[in-house]
Amino acid sequence: MVAQTFVQDFIEFITKGIQMMETKRSRLPAAGILFLGLMLGIPACARKTPSGPDKPVLALVMKSLANEFFKTMEEGARQHHQERASQYDLKVVGIKNEEDVSQQIKYVETLIAQKVDAIVIAPSDSKALVKVCKQAMEAGIVVVNIDNKLDAEVLASNGIKIPFVGPDNRKGARLAGDYLARRLQAGDAVAIIEGVPNAFNGIQRKLGFEEAMKASGMNIVSSQSGYWETAKANQVAAAILTSHPALKAILCANDSMALGAMAAVKAAGKTSDVHIVGFDNIEAVQTLLREGRILATVDQHGDKLAIYGIEYALDILKGQTTPADKETPVDLITAETLR
Amino acid sequence: MKRFSWKLPVWLTDYLGMAGALAILLAVFGFTAENFFSRSTFLIIADQVPDITILAVGMTFVLIIAGIDLSVGSVMGLSGTVVGALLVNAGQPVWLAVMAGVVVGFGCGLLNGLVTVRWSLPSFIVTLGMMEIARGAALRVTQSRTIYIPGYLDFITETRLLGISLPFLLAVGIVLLAQLVLSRTVFGRYMVAVGTNEEAVRLSGINPRPIKLVVFALSGLLAGLASIIQTARYQANPNNGQGVELQVIAAVVIGGTSLMGGRGSVISTFFGVLIISVLETGLAQANAQESTKRLITGAVIVAAVILDYYRQRIRHGKAG
Amino acid sequence: MNQIRPVILELRGIGKSFGPVRAVDAVVLRLQGGQVHALVGENGAGKSTLSKIMAGMLAPDGGQMMLDAKPYAPSNRNEAEQSGIRIVTQEFNLISTLTVAENIFFNDLPRSCGVIRYSTLNEKASRLLQQIGLDFIHPTSRAGDLPVGSQQLVEIASGLSRQCRLLILDEPTASLTDKETELLFSQIKALCRQGAAVVYISHRMEEIRRIADVVTILRDGRVVCTDTMDSLTTGEIVNRMVGRDWSDEYRRTTPETGPVALRVEHLSVGKKVRDISFVAHRGEILGFAGLMGAGRTEAMRAIFGADPIDSGRIYLHGSQRPSRIASPKDAVRHGIALLTENRKEEGLLLIKSIRSNCTLASMEKFSTAGYVRSAREKKHVGGLADRLRLRCWNTEQAAWELSGGNQQKLVVAKWLSTECDILIFDEPTRGIDVGAKFELYHLLSDLARRQKAILVVSSDLKELMLLCDRIAVMSAGRLVEVFDRKPFDEAAINRAAFREYVHPVHSQEHERNA
Repeated sequence: MVAQTFVQDFIEFITKGIQMMETKRSRLPAAGILFLGLMLGIPACARKTPSGPDKPVLALVMKSLANEFFKTMEEGARQHHQERASQYDLKVVGIKNEEDVSQQIKYVETLIAQKVDAIVIAPSDSKALVKVCKQAMEAGIVVVNIDNKLDAEVLASNGIKIPFVGPDNRKGARLAGDYLARRLQAGDAVAIIEGVPNAFNGIQRKLGFEEAMKASGMNIVSSQSGYWETAKANQVAAAILTSHPALKAILCANDSMALGAMAAVKAAGKTSDVHIVGFDNIEAVQTLLREGRILATVDQHGDKLAIYGIEYALDILKGQTTPADKETPVDLITAETLR
Repeated sequence: MKRFSWKLPVWLTDYLGMAGALAILLAVFGFTAENFFSRSTFLIIADQVPDITILAVGMTFVLIIAGIDLSVGSVMGLSGTVVGALLVNAGQPVWLAVMAGVVVGFGCGLLNGLVTVRWSLPSFIVTLGMMEIARGAALRVTQSRTIYIPGYLDFITETRLLGISLPFLLAVGIVLLAQLVLSRTVFGRYMVAVGTNEEAVRLSGINPRPIKLVVFALSGLLAGLASIIQTARYQANPNNGQGVELQVIAAVVIGGTSLMGGRGSVISTFFGVLIISVLETGLAQANAQESTKRLITGAVIVAAVILDYYRQRIRHGKAG
Repeated sequence: MNQIRPVILELRGIGKSFGPVRAVDAVVLRLQGGQVHALVGENGAGKSTLSKIMAGMLAPDGGQMMLDAKPYAPSNRNEAEQSGIRIVTQEFNLISTLTVAENIFFNDLPRSCGVIRYSTLNEKASRLLQQIGLDFIHPTSRAGDLPVGSQQLVEIASGLSRQCRLLILDEPTASLTDKETELLFSQIKALCRQGAAVVYISHRMEEIRRIADVVTILRDGRVVCTDTMDSLTTGEIVNRMVGRDWSDEYRRTTPETGPVALRVEHLSVGKKVRDISFVAHRGEILGFAGLMGAGRTEAMRAIFGADPIDSGRIYLHGSQRPSRIASPKDAVRHGIALLTENRKEEGLLLIKSIRSNCTLASMEKFSTAGYVRSAREKKHVGGLADRLRLRCWNTEQAAWELSGGNQQKLVVAKWLSTECDILIFDEPTRGIDVGAKFELYHLLSDLARRQKAILVVSSDLKELMLLCDRIAVMSAGRLVEVFDRKPFDEAAINRAAFREYVHPVHSQEHERNA
């Protein structure tokens, strides 16, 4: 945590600089000092964390930490690290915007330069991140892929294998879909609200929902993107409810969108007629599951997801295992399981 | 020195043009989307527009004074999380939480205004900063988690007068009041004047700074108000309102408000909001593909602005 | 002045409409090389439209143009410039953030591999400026930082910098001093000697008489007549321009000077205004003469609170206590009005209606608790527009649609609505045609009769001598002398204007005394 204290010192230094600029009449020198500080401070911040001789440094590269799911994941990882601080050092980086692929690539490049021992990455794009991961491996860094699976074809064409540790989103969605199907009758109209169109896990969830619905003979009348957002999903759900008044269920690729769909169903006065299924099991839906306003969601144990990746990476570093994909559990969450 | 009034036709062309565009859009969806002409479609639209409308009113004022407020979406998100946190995490009464939400919005707007006016900075960059600050604060308040608000705010979405929801009535009320302020009060006159030529206003013995300050503060206040409606519908999600600022600016510009300042109408802005909302609802009902939705929405925005260009030309008759 | 000069540009029945208004109608014009051809007419007569058509800035909707006997139809200004036809317009085309040199050679910047060679550029510009006697302008200063007159000269210089067959000058001397005007004239003559044609648009009859060979008079978009300068008297030209007799020329009647309205003591603003003191009375027109940059505008802006002052006191309405004027808002509250020299940029909301412009500074009188009383406002504006004889269709018309003179009247209307007592006019007749000018003189005189104190800054000394009761002369920031009408001694005023530039010693003495 030397790095952290240094960051704190640095921030303090900048703050002092700003105060100086405000109080001193001559602003130029203060600004100059501030600038100098920035120039000196940035590389200093990026210096490799000094660590014990046999204590490996692990880097966890996340998507947006503004997203509840990844935030939970990060907290889980930090907790895990605190309990085992003697075994490894942990760095966590997250990008601001989930689609900011280039930022994530830059972070990985920085980590390579810092010579970390292992990178556990939730890639923001399943194809674009492959190349930089390859660079990391070539630099002798152990890379473990979590959350969003890197594209198999692209990996093959680069001639590398990166172990994926994570849940099968498709399987999870299938579980929720099958549970829903038991409440419906064959031929009932259902709709799917997808995630951001090009997101791997979103696509997997959609496929899982579709499989379950087709298997039980449901009629998917509409499948549109809600961009992972509550308001957007609300708008789409409301429109689908109007154009298909006989709709019996809405399957949402995440719980935030399920909240939006729920508001639309409520506004249409159909709370008792339309079932809603979500994904992720965020805190906010748990009451709703109990109240029966949301039928089911899927827990892929976000808090443990990063831990699985970290433990797996540690195992590889210790030579206890050879890299291979490892599936983590997904569980169906309903009012019954919560009880 | 002959004087005749051509004021009425100008008003007519303004609103008839917008209403006409809206009617065409409705007709197109009537043919292409299933069950489009139904009571529920219009109820949906009435449910969708209030928060955007309220933000758009504030944005109209800001654009009229030749500013811009990019922070409205984030400020709305922040206010919502404050409401949620006070209600659920702190167990405060509803009235206090709602008040606090509005006050937080007002405070953000006031800060935007103070910084912009005090250092004569471009509002673009100041509000861009506020956009980040408010979003960061929203994430901080909620620890990045959606707060579920069990039932406290349902009265907002569920109270209906003659079948029309409270938020919609509130939004329409704000639109009418804002239009009145804009076209019939001294403050409205000053806003337009500041947006047209700030130096001329100053040299006419009017201090433009308080006017700008009030407009930014008002935009924040309205964002706070919009957040109450958003939160009542969608819970307190710290990511609420992301990207909304662009949607709001698009609606305002479709309504014919100039990005260069000095020209705008709140009623037209309301039409702009309706056009975008009808478009989105209609495309979703028509089960359009994601790519199609974006192509069409973009094209309509550009077409509306081109239309406005010709409307201005007709109004002014001859060229300079 | 023989007639065997080659015709460079010929206009055959050129016409142009803006909506229902026929701005130019069936104009026939032959512009010969080596000649200065004056275009005269009231504002709105079609001079500017016609010159814009020739310069490719507007497309005619009728007729034909022949350049060197070949059809000529430029689709934009650039094309016209490539054919050797250049225009310098009333509106500045200078880019205020670029340097003088960059502006002059904007279309033809010397460069290698796309990189501007600044040394060559500045050298070229410096040589050109020297050549035409503008050596006091530095090629690397930013155009926007120059005073208005110098900007105009740079603009003309950039017109002269390029190869040109026909140069169109639209009101070039509007903000030039006599010396600068002389510089311009010698350049025009040099250009004519090279065989180029010059179109010269101006309201100033004496200039036209001096420089022009041929004059074409326009009225309501039509050519009234084209004749050699020698065959027409100035009176005839003016009569044909306005279509009526201007025999009732303006005369200032002896004023009945009232009590003191404004007393300024030891006012200083940076280096521009140095320790000036004067008194203005109600019912009096006090003129401010001086060279460009003598600090007159700066002094007026400081009195109005538009710019901060360094030191000095301002006493209003005979009070013994100085008034605090820190902003225009304070000034307006104290009944002071400033009509700036840039009425378009600083005086008017161009895209807004006459009505809202007129009441902008006095909204509190037309509102109750912040709510605008439209009926009262309309009645007031209508009445004032009639009184000032504002020429407009109705009061909802936008300000930019008005001619220069009517725009000036609108600014006056704005201030009259505040019931101010002290009106400061900075260059009130700049860019205004002859007819409107006299109307404005009458208006000023009338205001003085209503016991307002009027301060007028003008670069046109003849105008001040016609209009004012007293003339204060400023020189290099100091107020050197105040002349009484008995009548005015033009030569003495001119000498005073140069005094501080010729004997700067005087200023040091003055400072020691103060």
